[in-house]
Formats: sequence, C-alpha cells, structure tokens
Amino acid sequence: MPLSQRNLALLLIAPGLALVAALFLYPLSFSLVSAFTGPDGGFSLGSFRKAWELYSGDVVFTVVIVLSSCLLTGLMAVVIAGTLTLGENRYIVGTLKALYRWPLFIPFIVAAQCMRTFLAKNGLMNNTFVSLGLMEPLQAVSFLDWRGIIATFVWKQTPFVALLLAGALASLDRATLEAGRNLGASRLRVLVELALPQVMPQLLVALVLSFVTMLSVLSVPMMVSGSQPTMLTVDMAFRINAYGDYSTANALGVITYLLSAGAAIIYLKRGMSQESTR
Amino acid sequence: MRILTLACSLAALMAASPLSAQTLNVASAGDQNMVDYVKDYLGPMFEKAHPGVKVVSVGTGPGDSGSQKILEKLDAQKGSATTDFDVVVIHQKAAGQMVKDGLLAKYTDKIDTAKLVSSEAAKNSLGADVSGYVMPMFQSQTALAYNADMLKTPPNSFAELKDWAKKNPKQFGYNGIKGGMSGVAFVAGWVYAFGGDANKLVQGPYDAAEKAKWDTAFAELKEFNKNAVITPGNAGTLDMLNRGEIAMGPVWVDMFYSWQADGKLPPNMKLKLAAPGMPGQPMYYAVPEKSAQRKLAEEFIALATSPQVQADGIVKKFNWYPGIDAKNLEGKLDKAAWDKLFTDITPTDLSKNAKPFPIAPYFNDILEGYEKKVAN
Repeated sequence: MPLSQRNLALLLIAPGLALVAALFLYPLSFSLVSAFTGPDGGFSLGSFRKAWELYSGDVVFTVVIVLSSCLLTGLMAVVIAGTLTLGENRYIVGTLKALYRWPLFIPFIVAAQCMRTFLAKNGLMNNTFVSLGLMEPLQAVSFLDWRGIIATFVWKQTPFVALLLAGALASLDRATLEAGRNLGASRLRVLVELALPQVMPQLLVALVLSFVTMLSVLSVPMMVSGSQPTMLTVDMAFRINAYGDYSTANALGVITYLLSAGAAIIYLKRGMSQESTR
Repeated sequence: MRILTLACSLAALMAASPLSAQTLNVASAGDQNMVDYVKDYLGPMFEKAHPGVKVVSVGTGPGDSGSQKILEKLDAQKGSATTDFDVVVIHQKAAGQMVKDGLLAKYTDKIDTAKLVSSEAAKNSLGADVSGYVMPMFQSQTALAYNADMLKTPPNSFAELKDWAKKNPKQFGYNGIKGGMSGVAFVAGWVYAFGGDANKLVQGPYDAAEKAKWDTAFAELKEFNKNAVITPGNAGTLDMLNRGEIAMGPVWVDMFYSWQADGKLPPNMKLKLAAPGMPGQPMYYAVPEKSAQRKLAEEFIALATSPQVQADGIVKKFNWYPGIDAKNLEGKLDKAAWDKLFTDITPTDLSKNAKPFPIAPYFNDILEGYEKKVAN
C-alpha cells in the first residue's frame, strides 16, 4: 500500500518526536510529579517550602548572577560585533576576528579551572599586575566569589552572542549606515542609533539562549566560588548527593524551569508585539 | 564519562573472560586514587599470587554518592542469581544501609587478618552494627593545616580557633558543606565543640530534640564565617594554603601529605588536630551477598588487609592511616615512613581527638541545620 503524503510526513517526524518525548517530556513530567509529591506519596508543597526555607538566598543569587552576566555579555558582544562591522583599522578588526571566537571551543569546566588560578588572590592576574608595578601585593583581592562566576560566564558566552550579532550586523543594508556616516554621525552613534535597533531581535535571542545556558551550568559555581551563597545547580547536586533527597532537588529544578520560562516569555512577547506593529 | 568508564570496564571484562578462568570485579567508591590503588597496586599483586585470575577495578565516583551508586546497583540485582561486583569498597553511610538491606555477606570470620582489627569503626558504622560484614581498608582523618611561618602556635582547641579567627580576619578558610568532606568535617567538629555532648552524636541513640541545642553553635558559626574565607572545594583549601592566601584550613591528612610529597604544598605547612577533635572515616572492604566469587573475594580482602600490604600500600604509598591496628605494622615499615605519618599529629593526639562522624540521622541534621541557619 503506497503511503499517503500525510502518513509519510508523520513517519518522518516520528523519530524526532519519540526522542523529544523520551529524553525531554518524560523526565520533565517525572521531575514535576516528584517535586509535588510528599513523603507519604500524596500531593504536597513540602518540597517547595523546604527549598524556599533553605535556598531562598541562592535563588536570588542565581537570578542576580545570570542577569548581570547577560547584561555584561550583551555589552561586550555589542562592542566586539560593532568593531567588526564598523571598525576602520583593518589590523584591529583582523586581530579581533581571529581571536574573539576562541572561548567558544573551550568547555565550561576547563574555563572554570583556568579562572580558579587566574583570578585567585595570589593568582596569575594579580601577580602580573604586581610584577608590572601596577599594584601593591597587599592590595590584591581574590575574585573567586560571585565576581569570578560572572567573569567566567561573560568570557565564555560573549563570543557566542557576538557571533550571532556580527552575522546580523553584516547582513544589514550598508547604505543606511553609510548614509548616517555621510551626514556626519560618529561611528558610535551609527552603531547605537542605526545598526543596533535593526538587530535587536537577534541580540535578544542570543541573550535568552545564554541566560538558559548559564542557568544550567554546575561546574563554574562549584569550582570558581565557595558555596555560600551559591547557584541552584550546586544546591540540587548537594541535595541528591548528601541526602538522596530527589523531591527537594526537583522542586529547585521546577524553580529553575520557571526562571527560564520567564526569559522565554519576555522574548515571545517582544516578538509578538513586533509582529503586530508591522 | 562515568558511563564511558563503566562501558569500557564492561567491554574489558567481556574481552577478558574467555582468556582467564576467573574474573574478580572490584568496585570502589571514592576518588581516582582509590581506583588506581586497586588497578595498579593491589590487582597485579593478587593476579600474580593467583594465576588465571583477572582483577577488574571499577570506580563509581567520589564521596557518599559513589557508595550510593554501588548500593543502588546491588539493590537492583537483588533478584538475580549473582551480582556484577565481587568486592566493594564503600563509605560508612552506605555500609550501614547495605547491611540492613541484606546486600552484604558476613565474611570476616573466614579471614585471618580480621584478628588484627580492634577499632570501633570495624563494628559500628555511624550507629549501624556492621561487625562481621566489613574490614577497614584504611582510616582517614581530617585536621587543620596551617602555615608555620605565619603562625608559630596554632590554636589548641576550637574555642582558641574562634578567637584567633576574630583577630586575624580572612586568614582561616574552609569549603563550607557543599564543596567536599573536609568542610563537612570542620562543621561537625564545630558542633562537637559548641553543640553539647559530642559522644551522644557519635554513639546515639538518635533523639530528634537534640538539634535544638545547636542553635547557639550555628549562630556563632555564622559570625565566624564573616571572618573566614569560603574556599572552592577540598583542593581549593589546599590551593589557597599553597598560594599563601589563607594561613589555616581543614584538610584531609592523606591529601595533605600527598600534595606535600608532590611539591604542591610548601614544606612549612603543618597539621594540628584541635580539641575536642575532628572527624575521620574509614573506607570498608565488603563482599556482596550474591557475589559469584565469594572465596576469591575473601582471599583478595585478606591480602589487602595483611600487614605488609597495609604498610607498603596504605601507609607508604598513599599516606592513609592503616585500617588494621597500627601495632601490627611494626617492623614492616621503615622508620622514616612511619615517622612521617605521625610527625605533626602524634598517636596520642589521634587516640584523643580523632572522632568518627556523627551517626547518620544527626549527620543529616547537622548538614541541614547548617544550610538553614548558617548559609541561608
């Protein structure tokens, strides 16, 4: 019996759908159920109460860390992508082009290990400053806390955002930008007032993706900073390893879902309002 | 990665089985050095003495979670005829649970070296009776490491340490409770010192009302933390000591000596076991109830706990304290190796201030109390 067009289409998407169902939907609903299940097997908000009682500070800490990392990543990416598109010194542009993608190929755990020795009080960075005479040894401070986490995240995510942004900027109509330059606008003004508004959606997509990625990283907070306060991923791992307590860990997971869902909603809303104004 | 390791071991196992008559599968919870100990040292020695036997060493990951994985595996295979593991190396928390669940075999009466062990840890594992089911592989201990150039007289007790940290802000560092067991041990030591009766926490029985007595201790620890540095992990504390960023911090004694031997810690670092003491823990050798190679497994453990192996492997190579009573090692070890182990912490200090961890329910109460009252 020959397959109809419709059946063929269904057959083609079946493997992908099965994969999503088995590897995402099933574990998702499993962890949702576990988060809302009490020790006696019935429905309970106990895990959430416990999660909030023990980790409310860490929830706030996680949000602050991830948001400020996103903000800094966005800024850095705009500077890099702007220089690549509008830069006039070809040596600077060439060097930057060759260098900026490197962190993309370095895993989070390796970046964290490097930062551990780089940012320490008597680490590579401070020692370099001291030996250059820029700083007294006594002024050295350790960055192995929230600042270290942000530095690692920004270093790791900037190239990703810059890559998407530079691509979007390159596909803009050069004529508008050059018109701006001809009328006497500085390059900074062309970037901020002409180029960036046109690539805002792409920048936002890149930042939302970075937000979700950073929310899920375990190695960086674990290796770079001490554990008080720390990010939710570390708390989840600790809940399971120290107490075998999956339901509170899952409650923390649900809180993380909600945070990333928040980012997705902001993005979708913005996308829709743009659609409607068009 | 772990799955890959397991898969590789499994592949190696399948490839090896037709060649040799018997395979002994040893699963170790713990850091890589524990897996290497069996793979590179104990395994080859056993294979030499038992021609035709192949020892396969598998690691299940560090900390209590590694033991948890062994427990889950044995539990899952409860219904089958044999288990995949013949010898397991496990932590205290899991050992009590496994004995309770009937997953382990009683074997120590069948091996001679059992007579060489008299320590409490061989009978009582965090409140659970495990006598007959386990042999201690080694005893590990936490202590305060300090930079002898920066402070001449280290604090003798936790009370002195509290004052010292106040006068020397940001000179004491530990890794909290989420970054490894040396920080957990420090917190347990703090509760032993300021939380009432330490003996009750170690021996039980469990009384849920006991934790109410720790409120002041936790409040003081929160205050103490303001002057302390929270380091990233067991290795993080050692790193910061090495770079001179902190002057003192809790460490595992074996890690301390190994790092010093590798030149990763300067020779001016010393150890101190402050009163009333800090916890240490043994790792246990045990045989699963459904092991297919019960006899071989017993012989393997007998070799591993023999005085010569304990002297050469455990003490000299890996800087652990012996699992069997130390007096049985006399004459098996040169004086230098022996002295090195007891330079800073004398046997008297050890017998007075080396404590076990609290029994499991108190242990969890301490961790959760810390999360609630100190960290959040």
